[in-house]
Amino acid sequence: MQKPVSILSRTISTPVILSVILLGVAMLAVIGNSGPFNQTVIDIFVRVILVVGLYVFIGNSGVISFGHIGFTCLGAYATAWFTIPPMMKKILLPGLPEFVSQINMPLLPSLICSALFAGVFALIFGRILMRLSGIAASIATFAMLAVINTIYSNWEGVTGATSSVVGIPIHRSIWPYFAASVVAVFIAYFYAISRSGLALRAARDEATAASASGVNITRERLIAFVLSGTLMGLGGALYAHSVGVVTPDTFYLGLTFTTLAMLVVGGMSSLSGAVVGVVVISLIIQVLRWLEKGVTLGESTLSIPNGVQEIAIGVVMIVILMFRPTGLMRNRELLWTGWPFNRISGKTARE
Amino acid sequence: MNKWTKFAGSALIAGTMLSATTVKADEIVIGFATAESGFMQAYDKPAQDAAMIRIDEINKAGGLLGKQIKVVTADTKTDRAEGAKAGLEVLDKGAELVVVSCDYDFGAPAALAAQAAGKVSFFLCAESIKAGIQGVGPFSFSASVLAPVQGATMAEWSYNKKGARTYYRLLDTWTEYNKGICDGFDWMLPKLSDAKLVGSDTFKNEDASIAAQITRIKSLDKEPDAIMLCSMMPGVVSAIKQIRAAGINSMILNGSGVDGSYWLDAVPDLSNFFVPVQASIYGDDPNPDVTKFNETYTKVTGGAPSSQYVYPGYILIDVWSKAVERAGSTDAAAVVAELEKMRDEPTLFGPRTFTSEIHHQNKGRYHIVEINAGKPGIVDTHTISEAIPLEALLK
Repeated sequence: MQKPVSILSRTISTPVILSVILLGVAMLAVIGNSGPFNQTVIDIFVRVILVVGLYVFIGNSGVISFGHIGFTCLGAYATAWFTIPPMMKKILLPGLPEFVSQINMPLLPSLICSALFAGVFALIFGRILMRLSGIAASIATFAMLAVINTIYSNWEGVTGATSSVVGIPIHRSIWPYFAASVVAVFIAYFYAISRSGLALRAARDEATAASASGVNITRERLIAFVLSGTLMGLGGALYAHSVGVVTPDTFYLGLTFTTLAMLVVGGMSSLSGAVVGVVVISLIIQVLRWLEKGVTLGESTLSIPNGVQEIAIGVVMIVILMFRPTGLMRNRELLWTGWPFNRISGKTARE
Repeated sequence: MNKWTKFAGSALIAGTMLSATTVKADEIVIGFATAESGFMQAYDKPAQDAAMIRIDEINKAGGLLGKQIKVVTADTKTDRAEGAKAGLEVLDKGAELVVVSCDYDFGAPAALAAQAAGKVSFFLCAESIKAGIQGVGPFSFSASVLAPVQGATMAEWSYNKKGARTYYRLLDTWTEYNKGICDGFDWMLPKLSDAKLVGSDTFKNEDASIAAQITRIKSLDKEPDAIMLCSMMPGVVSAIKQIRAAGINSMILNGSGVDGSYWLDAVPDLSNFFVPVQASIYGDDPNPDVTKFNETYTKVTGGAPSSQYVYPGYILIDVWSKAVERAGSTDAAAVVAELEKMRDEPTLFGPRTFTSEIHHQNKGRYHIVEINAGKPGIVDTHTISEAIPLEALLK
C-alpha cells in the first residue's frame, strides 16, 4: 500500500527558498559595502520578522489584527530594560524594579527574553481577545494597541514616557538580523504545518465545519496569537538594537499600517507572500529614494522630485492589488520540487 | 517568472547605484543629517540655512585650515530609523562634523551613528541635557541653550526687575522641552527669598479649553504677579488667549518657544508678556551685527528669520570651526578638547561655554522681549546669577 507523502517533505522547500531570498538580500549588503545601505538591509530583515509575525496570526486565522505592533513595543522596551548599562538605567528609568536595573544582558539572551516577555502579554491579552471573532476581534486588538501605547507614553519612571530611551547597544552587523529573520520564517513554517496550524486554517476557511470536526477555534487562535506576539516582540527588540533609540510613538499607527500593507501586497495567507511583500516593497522604496537623490547615467542625471517616493509606493501598491487582488503570491507558497527536494519527497512517495 | 525578474532587476539597479563619493584632499566635509521633509523640516530648515550662511562666510574668507568646506546632506524624513541611515550616509561621504535634527528625539539616531564612528555631532537647536554627553556620548554637542535656563532666567529677572513675588506655574505636559522650562523655574524659585508659588497646574497642548485651570487661577485670593507658562506652539496660543479673555492680567513668562510675531494676530493687543531670546529677530538687537545677519538671512532665503531658533545653526558652525582652527586638525578628539576649553566664547548670538561635563549652556545670556500692545521689542538682558547644576538638569 502507498503511504501518503508527508506534508513536511512536500513543503519544506518553501522556507528554504525564502531563506535563500533573504540570503540574497544579505549578499546585496555585503557587495554594496556602504553604511546606509547596510542599515536599509537591516531594516528589511526587521520588517520581515514583523510581517512574518503578523502572518502567523492573520494568515492562519483570517482575523485581521491591528494590535500586533503593541507587542513590538513591548519587545523593544524589554530589550532596552535588559541591555542599557545599569548606571544609565538608574538615571533614565528610576522606576524600574531593582532586579531589572541590575541586569546587563548580551544581545542573544536579551532578544530571547524580550520575545518571551511580549509572548507572555500576548497570552494574557489573547485569553480575552480570542473569544471574539470577525470585526469585533479586529477592533479589540486595536484597542489593545491603544492601551499599550498610552501606558508606555505615560509611565515616566519605567518607560521614560514620551521621551526617547537611549543607551541601547547598537548592532550594525547584518548577520544577527539575517539569522533572526530566517529563524522567524522557519518558526512560522513549522507552525503552519503543525496540527494547530492546519486546524486553524481549516477554521479560517470553514468555521462551522471545523468546529463540528472537533477543532477548538479559541484555543488554536490563542496558540497562533501567542506565537505571533512572541515574533513581534523579537522584531521590536531587533528594531531597538538597530536604531539605538525607542519611543512609544514609533510603535503605533504608522508601523501598524506599513506592516499590514506589506502583508496584504505580498499575499495575506501565505508565508511566501509575507516575505516577498516586504522584500519587493522595500526594494521599490529604496530604488525610488535613489531616484529622488538623482542618479547619474552617463552624462545626464536622472531624478524625480522629493516626496514622490511616498506617492509612488502608494500607486505601486494599488497597481499590484489591481492585477493581483490576492497579493503578489496569489496566496500560494514558493515551492521547488526539483533537486534536492525530489529526493526526499520522491523516496517517501515510492515507499 | 515575473517576481524573479522584478527581484533581479531591483538587485541590479541597487548594485550599480552604490558608488561611494570620494573626499578630495583640499576639502573638509560637513554632513547634515536633518529633515528635508516631514514636520521637523519646519524646525531644521531655518537653522540649517543659518549654518549655510556661516559656511559660506568661512569659504569666502579662505576656508578652514586652508581647505574649502563641502556640504553633504541626507534626509531623515522626520523618522528615527531613517535618521540613523541619514547619519550613516553623511559619514560614508566623509563628514567630519555631523549636524543633526533640532529635536533630541529625532536627532539622536544620527548623532549616535556619528558617536559610534568617532565623529563630532551637533544638534541644530536641541534644548535638553540629553542632547550631548548624557544622551549620546562625549562627541556630541548642542548649540542652543538648555530649556531650564529659560525658566530660571524668567523667574530671576521678573523677581529682580519687575518686583514679582507671587507666581503661578502652568505646565503643558506635552514635551520634554516644556517640562524643562518649568524644571528651571522650580530650581530658581526657592533661591529668591520672598518669592512664593501660589499655585501650580498642568494642561495638554491639544486641550481645546483650559477653563478648569483658569477657574483655579481666578479663585485665588489675589491675582498672581506672574504666570510661568511652560508651553509651546501650537497649543500655547489658545492658552494665552483664554487667560487674557478671562480677565487675568498677570505678567506671563515664557520659554523661547513662543518667540516670533507670526502668531500675535491671534491674540490682539497682547501686553505684559515676556519671552527670553538669544538674539532679536525684530531689528532692535543691541548688537548691530545681529541685525546685519538678519538682512543677510533675508537676502539668502527670501524671508526674515521667523524666530530665534535660526541662530543656533550659525553658532554651531562658528564654534566648531574655531575649535578646528585651534586644534589644527579635524580629528574629533582634538576638536572636542578645544571645544571643552571654551569659556564664554563670544559668538554673534551670545557667549558659549562647553566643559567636559556639559556640552550645552547651563547659564547663557538672554535678551528679554516684551510684547506690549501686540508689539514685540527687547527691553532688557539677563544672565542668571548661578549656573544650573548637572543634578538639577538630570532630574
